Formats: sequence, structure tokens, C-alpha cells
Amino acid sequence: MDKKTAVYICTGCGIGDALDIEQLKENGTEDFTIAHCKDHSFLCGPEGLDVIKKDTEDEGINSIIIAACSQRVNYDVFNFGPDKIVERVNLREQVAWSQPPKEEDTQMLAEDNLRMGCAKVDKMELPEPFKAEEEYSKDILVVGGGISGMTAALDTAKAGYQVLLVEKEDRLGGFLGKMKKTIKLPYKELTETGAEEMIKAVMEDPKIKVYTSSTVEKISGGPGIFSVDIKSNGNSATEKVGAVVQATGWVPYDANKLGHLGYGQFKNVVTNVEMEEMAAAGKITRPSDGKDVKNALFIQCAGSREPEHLPYCSSVCCLVSLKQATYLKEQDPETVNYILYKDIRTVGQAEDFYRKAQEDGNIFIRGSVLGVGEAGDKLYVEAEDELLGENIKVEDLDLVVLAVGMVPMTKPETTPKIKAPADSEDADEDGMMEVQPDSGFFATSALNLEYRQGPELPTLKYGFPDSHFICFPYETRRTGIYAAGCVRRPMETARAMDDAVGAAMKAIQCSEATAIGMAVHPRAGDLSYPEINMQRCTQCKRCTEECPFGMFNEDEKANPLPNPTRCRRCGVCMGACPERIISFKNYSVGMIGNMLKAINVPEEDEEKPRVVALVCENDAYPALDMAGIKRMSWSPYIRIVPIRCLGSINLVWVADAMSRGIDGLILMGCRHGDDYQCHFIKGSELADTRLSKVSETLDRLALESDRVQFVEVGITDYDKIPGIIDEFMKKIDEVGPNPYKGW
Amino acid sequence: MRKNGNYDPSFAREVFENVDFGDEIKMCMQCGVCAASCPLSLQMDHPPRQIFTLIRAGKREEVLSSQAIMLCTSCYTCKVRCPRKIPVVDVMHGLANYALKNGFVPRKDTANFGGKFWDQVYRIGRIDEKDLPRRYFFAGGFVEGIKNTLSFSDIGIKMFLHKRMKLLPERKIKGIISLRKMLDKAEKMQERGGASV
Repeated sequence: MDKKTAVYICTGCGIGDALDIEQLKENGTEDFTIAHCKDHSFLCGPEGLDVIKKDTEDEGINSIIIAACSQRVNYDVFNFGPDKIVERVNLREQVAWSQPPKEEDTQMLAEDNLRMGCAKVDKMELPEPFKAEEEYSKDILVVGGGISGMTAALDTAKAGYQVLLVEKEDRLGGFLGKMKKTIKLPYKELTETGAEEMIKAVMEDPKIKVYTSSTVEKISGGPGIFSVDIKSNGNSATEKVGAVVQATGWVPYDANKLGHLGYGQFKNVVTNVEMEEMAAAGKITRPSDGKDVKNALFIQCAGSREPEHLPYCSSVCCLVSLKQATYLKEQDPETVNYILYKDIRTVGQAEDFYRKAQEDGNIFIRGSVLGVGEAGDKLYVEAEDELLGENIKVEDLDLVVLAVGMVPMTKPETTPKIKAPADSEDADEDGMMEVQPDSGFFATSALNLEYRQGPELPTLKYGFPDSHFICFPYETRRTGIYAAGCVRRPMETARAMDDAVGAAMKAIQCSEATAIGMAVHPRAGDLSYPEINMQRCTQCKRCTEECPFGMFNEDEKANPLPNPTRCRRCGVCMGACPERIISFKNYSVGMIGNMLKAINVPEEDEEKPRVVALVCENDAYPALDMAGIKRMSWSPYIRIVPIRCLGSINLVWVADAMSRGIDGLILMGCRHGDDYQCHFIKGSELADTRLSKVSETLDRLALESDRVQFVEVGITDYDKIPGIIDEFMKKIDEVGPNPYKGW
Repeated sequence: MRKNGNYDPSFAREVFENVDFGDEIKMCMQCGVCAASCPLSLQMDHPPRQIFTLIRAGKREEVLSSQAIMLCTSCYTCKVRCPRKIPVVDVMHGLANYALKNGFVPRKDTANFGGKFWDQVYRIGRIDEKDLPRRYFFAGGFVEGIKNTLSFSDIGIKMFLHKRMKLLPERKIKGIISLRKMLDKAEKMQERGGASV
């Protein structure tokens, strides 16, 4: 594409009052091939846009640099079609609104920003969407035929897409099919489960192909072009699908580990799952002799919220016990139910059912269980009653129900092992090592992905295959594979149904977006994708190892084999590559390097230091904008470069900046660790790790490692921004000017 | 030192069935807002929340002899604030009544004063600011009465100076016969199961 670039400077919103526009036009563009540079007092208004549109038509301008407000706003207004390159230069939030007007430093900042924009566009090309050789499929594979799986299948079919539903048991229904009753909105009383109707609806739906007694043998390819091998009753079938919903559900926590609560020792101690089965089969009786139940006690959090068992709350067991207490009351209103609880957690509107259970006269005891014993043919429970402040004993019990929690189906019974890399310290004598929850190896098999990073979805520490449950529900760390229902987090039926619909929507979006070469969340709509110059690849495996989404497979010679439909366009591979051979059409190592080189570095005796901030455009950049909107002010010596993810920072940029005489480099990225906020899961963490190794580079340049710093900035931390920058500037002041200035 | 106790649901059932507003206790979720709101909770041996949990645990003796159920001054803060809309004040009065009926006297003073108050209202239809304290103070004997009177003498003198207390005895109200009829009827209603029925 023959680039013809033009710059448009908006002088509205106070930009014109803060800057000398004529000087900006001259100094900001002098080193670049720019067709013309115009200004307008209201660029985002119809007249301003007309100026640009007219130029594109009359003069063939196809690369447009808008020097106005932040790239976070008006992106829809400054959209001139897919055949135009548009680059935004921030003169409003981060210049006019946060710096004193008509000052020399403010003017220099604006000029540098414009120069950086010009340098970026200089290298930028129009992205061409990726098109796989195979034909794209938009069918959806649903793994698991419980309530979540069936709901996902039905809703996907309703939206007009073909569905494959794979269930490992011989009939659909999952736990829903084993229940007597359920509780749904408005959570006032017990309702029918509706399992039979649902199974019938799924079986009869012409758009749903049901495989029972089947497992997924293998999934290869990527979104849009997944190839799925399904094994059923000895037969194998291969299907093509566009996206996958994993709704493999849960298993109850193993009550055999709860011997201290009498399980296995006394027949009349049962789990809530056994209780439900007993209720569904007919009458609830004493398992030991089949006699009536007069007094029952429910032990809540049996094994849950205990570090040595299940450390988390499953959020449904309270409601289940209240439901089962209601079964007993319906059977015989004279039954006395005791509920021994730590906290009653009836989430959301389920509180109404708690009220109902209280009205029924169930007796709630807050405390922790000390032991279960037998006296004659009756059980007793000893507990520490927190509210009475006493140790109590409840006697004469016919039934004790252990409310055990939910374990995701993905979580293996024992920690699996894989072959350790040759130089690994964690290897045992056999050369094997235990796998971590966040590796794709940590899970019982459900998907059998042909991914280099492991056959299953990477999980969080308790085995749930989520990527970030607050910001991006259903998203996992494998693009195009969405988790729904209890495998994602413990939940009750009504919530599982909502969840399934959400995941189904995501799966449909993914198959549609992939078919036109677009990225999915969080860079939804991005048409660029990483391209690799394989001739210079050294098979170092960093890209295949570090990609948070497992985009690369590997051949036996360790060459990376990209699957661009799996890519989320974060650029982590670009940051990882020591040979710098991975780049996007509109985002590359050279491009950002040129931006850094476009910054004018004043001579040392001018006493105007220069600091570059590489800023995550998801959280830190909007925080900076917000600080500008709030008219907070910070040092005019800082140059802000938005980047896709801190994980895309290539260490060569540090060398680029330092050798140019930049005094310091600050990286602003998302929080990492257990409560990470990185949109690409590991990006900011990788940046931090890589930075710890940057001292080497700095040493080589004979520079102080204090010149480079990583800070965690949340999107809500705008009030801390001036403080962070001032502190860093102070540190740079102490370290002194970069000796490479003027080279 | 922790005591040991056995849970016994029979007292809870007794309260649910026999005490005015007693079944409202079922809805208590032990949040403690009532106790935190009560201006007298520091004086109570068991604040309302504890009373409710003791009922569930079956501690009949402890509940019915607790002075807390008679200490309530009916300020209604608990009733207003209870997230489960339990009329805590009414439950406390119901319990006090039930305790007296069953031969428990949780607070002798309060019971004594209440009795004398009722008597006087029934007799003359109003409260005599001299006569009621006199009857109340001297209930424990002459020496006790003198002591009590002296300890309240400064209040008495001030009330006298502000013309809040007359020297002459108060007269009966005009419609005393009708008032007594009303009070008699109310008492009969109470015996039939209280106003709530």
C-alpha cells in the first residue's frame, strides 16, 4: 500500500489555548513524509470530519494521524473505513489538560507526542485479516450434558447454530437428573427440576446432535477450525466445530476423607448427594434400618472452608441443606431439623428460601462441629456453639447429613505428573515432575487438546478453569473454549443456566469473529495477527512457552507452529522473542523502537530529563486519561507510549531508549499474582520478570538499574498517578542524567 | 470455662405456641442488630439476640428468669431496625408476661412497680405522683421505705417547686367506671391468647 499520510490537529477542548499550533505543525512533522498538516477547532464535529473525508477522497490520503483527544474516546467518530490507517496522538488528556498552558515544556511534550505518532504510522501497514486454508465451521461443541450443557446446547440451537453435545454417561441430565426437586426463581418454594422435559427438548431439537456414552478423544486446530474426534461405544467420529463450551460439571468432595464426622463409620451419616438420591428414590429413611427420621442434623461446610480439605465455599450447600430439610418437613411436619452452620450463605434471592426454612421452624445452630458419635441406635453431635459460647450436644438423631462441597470435574484426584525438562530442578528420580494448576496438564481429561501447552484448560489454584471471573466470565486461557456451570465455579441450577447462556453467546461470537479474521475479547475486532519470519528463528521456545493462550504448537525440531485463530493479539510472543522476528502489521518491535527514537532528547546542560513510560492500554492508559480529565498534573518530562500489553515489551526497547539518552523508563501495568488484573493473564507478570533480568542490559551499557522501574497501576488508581510519576522523577534526579545523551 | 448443654427443641416449641409474638423468633438470623441498638443492652444479662438463641437451645430456666425480658423500655429501636422485621419489643413483653404467668419473677422491682402502677390506674384512672412512689418505696417495709424516700427527696422537692406534684391527693377521673370496664375486657382478651390472636 502506498502510504499518503496527513496530520489533523484539533484545537478544541483547550488544546489550542495550551499550545502553539503552528510551531507544533512544523516541529512535530519535520522529519517525516507528511502530505499536509491541518488544524481545525472542532475536529470530531461534522465539519472537521468533512475536512478529513474530503482529503481522503480528493487527495488519496490513506493514513490519518489525529492529534486530538485520547485513543480511548471518539474511536467510532474517527473511523474512516477498513482501508485507512488511523493513528491517534493524545494532545488533550495527557497534554492540554494535565500540563500548564503555553509553557516551553508543554510544547515540547506535544511535539514529541506528534513525532511519535508520525514514526508509528511510518512503519505501520494495514492489517490483512487471517484466513485459514480450511473452511471455517460455526458449529458449537458442548462437552457435558448436565443442566449447563443442555442449556448451552438449547440456546445455541435457538440462535440458529448447529450443536454437538457430548455426554460421557448413557443419558443426559447430569446431577439435575438425579435431583428430586430444585429451587428456582423466585426462591420461595421447591419446584420440579424439569430435567425430563429438558432432555426431551434436547433430543428432539434438529439442530442438536447428541452423543451419549461418548468422550472427546482429541481436539486439534483452533477456533473456527477445531477438529474434534469423538469416541462413542467403540466408534469414532471426526467433526469440525468453530468453538467449544466445556460444561463438564462437578463431583462432590470425597466424604471418605471426612472420617472425623462419622462418615463410613455410622450408616446414618450420609452426604447431601446421597440424601438427594434417597429423596429422589422415594422416602427418606434411616439407612441403617429403614425406620422413620424424626430428628435430623445437617452439618454445613463439611470439609469446606477448611485448609486441609476444600479451602473454598461452594455457595450452594446451604441452599441444598435447606431444601433437604424441607423434604423432611414435607414428609413429616413433626420432624426436627437442626442445621449446624458456620455462615448461612444463600446467595442473592435465595435468601427468601432461607426465610422459608426459618418459618418452617428449623433450628439453626451457629458453630463448628466437634464430633459425631452413636448412643444406642441414635446418633449425637457435639459442637461448639458460637452464639451460646458453650459446647453443646444434640442427641437422639436419626440422620446426620454432611453438606459436602463441589469439586470441579477438571480437578484430578491426585496431582498429575509430566516428563520434566532435562535441566529442571523439580524432577524426581524418574525424570517426572508434578504439574501446577495453571498448566494445561492439571486436569482430568475432558477435551484432550492437541496443544503444546497441555491437553486441558489451565486452571486457577482450586482447579477451576477460569481466566478472570469478574472481568471476563466464561473466558478461559484457551481461545474459543468457554467454561460454563459448575466446572467454572460452584453454583446452583438457576445460576448454571444463566452461565450456560453466557458461554454459548461467547462461543457463537468467537466462531463468527474468527470466520472474518477478527480477534475475540479483549481486543475484539482486531484484524492484525502475529507473523513470524521463520528464517531467523532459533527454536528457543520462548514464544511457545510464554503465550498465555497456547497459540503455538511445536514440531519435533521445536519450530513454532502458529495457529493464528487461537491468538488474542496481546503481543506477548513479540516481547518474548529474542530475535525480534514476531510482529504485527500495525504493532512491531521496530515500530515502538522508532517511536522511542523520535523523542527529542535535549542536551544535558539544558537540565530537561526525558523519561519514557510504556503503558498498558487496557488499565494504566485510561487511568492516566482519567487523571488528565481530573486536571491532575505531573512532570512534563515524561513521554507516554501506549502498548497492547506489558507482556509485549521487548527488552531491546530498553536498550533503544537508554542508548538515545533517555534518562529513565517506567512500565505501568496491571496487578499480577493471585488477584491479577492483566487482560492477557500473564502479561504484566512476564514484564516484571523480564525486567528483573534487564540489569544485564543496563550493565552492558554501564547504566544504573534504578533507571528502569515496573509499577502496578489499576484502572482506578488515577489519583496515584502524579505521585508515582513524581517519585520516579525524583529517583531519576538522584541517579543523574544519562551519560549517553547527545551520542 | 465453657459449660456443656444439650439442645432441647421442646422449649422453642413452647415459646412459638404460647408466647405472644413467640413464633416471630423463628425468623431471627442472629445478626445482633437488636442488641447493638438497645440502649439497655449493657445492663442486660442476655441482650435480645442471646435470649433468642437461648430459646432455640431450650434453656427455659435461663430465659424465663432473665432480667433482660423485663428491662425493655419499649423504645422500639430494635423493632425498627430488625432486618427480619421481628417485633423484638413485643416478643420481650410477651416473654415477660409468660414468665410471670409461670411463676418466674425476673425483676422483683419491675414486677412490683408494674403491679402498683396497674393498681393505681385501675383505682383512680391516673397516676398520683406522691402516692405511687410511696406505695412502691414502702413495699419492702418501713425502714426501707424511709431510705428510698430520702434518696429521691431532691427530685421530689424539685417537682414540688415546679408544681409538678400537689400536696393534696389526686382525684379519680370522671369516667372511672367505663375505664375499669375497658381494662377488665383487655385482661380477658389477654387470657384468651392476647391481642395478637
